[in-house]
Amino acid sequence: MEFDFSPVITYFPTLLKGVGATLLIGLVVAIMSIIGGQIVAVISLYTRKAVNWPLRFFIWLFMTTPLLLQLYFLYFGLGQWILIPAIVVGVLGLGFHYMAYNADIFIATIKSVSNGQYEASRSLGFGHYATIFYIVIPQAFYRAVPQLGNNMIIMVKDISVLSAIGIAELVYMSQYAISVTFRPFEFYITIAVVYYLINVLMEAGQSWVERRAAIRK
Amino acid sequence: MTQATETPMVELKGVKKRFGNLEVLKGIDLKVDRGKIISIIGPSGSGKSTLLRSINYLEVIDEGSILLDGAQVNRPDLKGLAFERHINHIRQNMGMVFQHFNLFPHLSTLENVTLAPRKLKGVDARSARELGMDLLERVGLADKASAYPSSLSGGQKQRVAIARALAMRPKVMLFDEATSALDPELVEEVNQVMKRLAEEHMTMLIVTHEMGFARDVSDWAMFMDGGVVVEENTPDRLFTHPDQERTCNFLRKHLASQA
Repeated sequence: MEFDFSPVITYFPTLLKGVGATLLIGLVVAIMSIIGGQIVAVISLYTRKAVNWPLRFFIWLFMTTPLLLQLYFLYFGLGQWILIPAIVVGVLGLGFHYMAYNADIFIATIKSVSNGQYEASRSLGFGHYATIFYIVIPQAFYRAVPQLGNNMIIMVKDISVLSAIGIAELVYMSQYAISVTFRPFEFYITIAVVYYLINVLMEAGQSWVERRAAIRK
Repeated sequence: MTQATETPMVELKGVKKRFGNLEVLKGIDLKVDRGKIISIIGPSGSGKSTLLRSINYLEVIDEGSILLDGAQVNRPDLKGLAFERHINHIRQNMGMVFQHFNLFPHLSTLENVTLAPRKLKGVDARSARELGMDLLERVGLADKASAYPSSLSGGQKQRVAIARALAMRPKVMLFDEATSALDPELVEEVNQVMKRLAEEHMTMLIVTHEMGFARDVSDWAMFMDGGVVVEENTPDRLFTHPDQERTCNFLRKHLASQA
């Protein structure tokens, strides 16, 4: 058995492009799924059935089917009639998928804010919706931070699934490099290390955010 | 001014409240004059907390009427958004202090105090800060302005909660067992703040288990049991020579449990 990592070094700029794409997609999906999840949670908790039922169905749909199937459906399925660019499908698909998971967390943390908080705000003269906006949602957000962090760490690894619809993220780029150099072992080891490093950095970021959130709980 | 003093600050007429089949308030009449302090005592389940919460409309009453400085609090004629607007406005004139403080944990101490004036009265950031610091000073917590509630003791939390309620410059302060959840050694610091408010002639309704404090601070004392006011009198009279057997028994039991 012999290892040759020189192709990895040659193709490192290619891999870096993949890392860049992965991080950029991760950032967009994180922002979209956290803000969207918050909105979905609020609407599904505080509106009439006619409004919130479709949203609950949406959450249910994205949580009970595999991400890969969702992407195939959006890209190839809908592709029978309308061709949406792969990157749009990828970001929206992953975004909706994690929006559903984040909404689920926010629903739980919104419910966990005590009635005493609601009453204290109302007794000051805040209305129902002002109370939800100024008091309930911010508290629910701080409480959701640990689980949101976990979701986002999982999400970054799921970006690799987007290679299935041809998005040039890290795994896709390494597949390309492997097809040219025929050194799958070395490349897979390398990107595993890259993913590990991304994880370590994200976990450090998460614990920093969690510490800041903890004093506000 | 003379006319203003003739209108009671808080007035309740025949207030009734049911939880399902249980009638917890069986027709309460009450008048609190401007600058007066009324203590309400009674066993748990007597309806005293419900009464106080009804004044703030945290409990919806079934019958009777509640007036704050002549303005009717409960308005059966108003529905939906119109009532919401009415009650939000009414509540801005009442400060409510809860047994479990209910400080907003995501906001600093100063932000807890200034949130309502800023958002509800549109007070600008600088004036709000001055107001907030002034109030925190009054409750002895100016040095904790940037601290978050999670780092405060129970007594400190309750003092901030009082400052928060005062920030809207209320006409009346409602204290719902403000010291019941506190460790005994922390009760005094909260009582001190309340005493100072009393000296400043704030109109106050105090639901409490602190008989000594109630006797010291209040102008009038009421004993409630089973949803009715059993007896009311000056505190000296009520606590030392109650007319009613039930009052007597309650006070005796209470003293025995504290000994």
